[in-house]
Amino acid sequence: MADAQPVTEEELRRLSEFLYRRTGMIFTETKRYYVQRRITDRMEATGATSFASYFARLRSDAAGEVEQFINAFTVNETYFYREDHQLRCLTQDLLAERVERRPRDRAIRIWSVPCSTGEEPYSIALWLLENWAQVDAYDIEIVGSDIDTRALKAASEGVFGKRALMRLSPELIGRYFEELGDEQWRILDDIRGSVRFTAANLVETAETRPHGQFDVIFCRNVLIYFDDASRRVAAENLYENLAPGGFICLGHTESMSRISPLFEVRRFDDAIVYQRPRAAHG
Amino acid sequence: MPLIRKGGDAPAPTGGDEPAGKLRSTSPDERWAAARALSGRPEALASLTAALATEQDPRVREALLTGLARIGTPQGAAAIVPLIRSDDASLRTGAIDALRVMPAAALAGPLDSLLSDPETDVRILACDLARALPAPQATRLLCGLLAREPEANVCAAAADVLAECGEPDALPALAACAERFVQVPFLVFALRVAGDRIRAQTPVQDG
Amino acid sequence: MAEASSKRVLVVDDASLVRLYYRDALERAGYQVDEALNGLEALEKLHAAPADLLIVDVNMPQMDGFTFLKVLRRQALPVAAIPALVISTEAGAQDREAARQAGGNFYLVKPVSQETLVEYAAMFCGAAP
Repeated sequence: MADAQPVTEEELRRLSEFLYRRTGMIFTETKRYYVQRRITDRMEATGATSFASYFARLRSDAAGEVEQFINAFTVNETYFYREDHQLRCLTQDLLAERVERRPRDRAIRIWSVPCSTGEEPYSIALWLLENWAQVDAYDIEIVGSDIDTRALKAASEGVFGKRALMRLSPELIGRYFEELGDEQWRILDDIRGSVRFTAANLVETAETRPHGQFDVIFCRNVLIYFDDASRRVAAENLYENLAPGGFICLGHTESMSRISPLFEVRRFDDAIVYQRPRAAHG
Repeated sequence: MPLIRKGGDAPAPTGGDEPAGKLRSTSPDERWAAARALSGRPEALASLTAALATEQDPRVREALLTGLARIGTPQGAAAIVPLIRSDDASLRTGAIDALRVMPAAALAGPLDSLLSDPETDVRILACDLARALPAPQATRLLCGLLAREPEANVCAAAADVLAECGEPDALPALAACAERFVQVPFLVFALRVAGDRIRAQTPVQDG
Repeated sequence: MAEASSKRVLVVDDASLVRLYYRDALERAGYQVDEALNGLEALEKLHAAPADLLIVDVNMPQMDGFTFLKVLRRQALPVAAIPALVISTEAGAQDREAARQAGGNFYLVKPVSQETLVEYAAMFCGAAP
């Protein structure tokens, strides 16, 4: 039976550094307790008796431990209004900047990649309808893309269970979903018709490029799973898929600082986001 | 219901007909597109290398470096290696970052000679590249360096990597180096921590 | 040693043992220490929490120390004025000049002892008397 000892500050820093180098994951001071817990969980799961032996296992990636650790840390469950601080940032800051001096007839384009079974792109649609005063003034195109075509099929069907809707108020559910019974809800056809779903692999330029340029890209919790070379290519693809001055939102444990110098970091009240510089290059 | 509609495909930027020629375009956007079009293609090695020698735009430079790194061969690595001697710190950084994403097999050759390079800073940067190698190989290379290296800063860079991925046979080399540099407190500290970490990770038989 | 209780130092260096060595000295002298592994991460950290002093290496992944200081110095924010002590392995005159032009306030050549580090930290962010 594993007898896991508490992890020291220095050990925590070493592990954080390793994960940062290897995956681009970043842990702020406020998440320290959470990180401690996850390490202890993984030590127990792997039967490691000391931090050193667990760390050796993680470093050599024995039995895919790096991915296991990321999984333990990243809630891979997707649900409506997840990480809503970024959605707040979208309507409070990002879009205001994107529509400055923009002709009314130029559509705003938003990309959710990977979009899994559709919760994120539909959340963006609902959030804009509910929270953005200028929603009627612009055409808004929302695209959801994923490498997994089964997920895309489910996404375009737009049927969700109770857990996916747990963060939505009954009013919102009533307004945008029809109840199918059996704890299943289908998102209204109007919303369903407003999101386009496509297959795309972020490291395949031939697949990303046809999507054109976006004003805002949501790209959460996927780059951390890539190796360094793929991350570099993905960053260049994402750069191309952003309009100059466009924004990219990563997951809350991800940092572009390990991935690519192509973007500039911007801090808003609700989120840190990355921006393709406005000047074309330089 | 507000105006949300299903849009069509936005026009995709065109790749260009002859990317190698476009690498010399006056437009950074065209040079970027050309660098990306040639990315990872072994036959583009010479054009990417030539473009890198004169490219001033940091983002196009990134794309050129990615392009060479994705070739993934010792020749690709050899094209990047000279840049780590650049006077421009951001170019050195770009070169090392690109080398770091290359397969270990492509790096092994250049790394050997970089670790014996006459320039101190090249040896320091080379130590960090060893981090990507399998642990036994990194240990062997860096211990060889520790035994002969006259510069404290280079030994410290080796200790930093060994602290993460060193194997137990590095311990004598760390100890011997600490004796040589007993007058440099930082290095003594670094070698001690590296040794402690390696010892902590070495399984001890119970009983 | 004087208490520098509320002063915050951000150490920007990709070598973990260098950061550990500086942290050890600075914490014992009463500073709060935060770390970043490269210039880009340092910019992110400064957006989240400012610092009273930056200790900056030159050769780092993703964004080198000079580029970091140049980018920082042109921000229209209070963080742009944080004093920076550049500590590099590069000993040449042109490196010192490059550091000055990038916005470094002082330049030291590695390896730096803990005593020297604390001395300079006190000088730049005015440790409490």
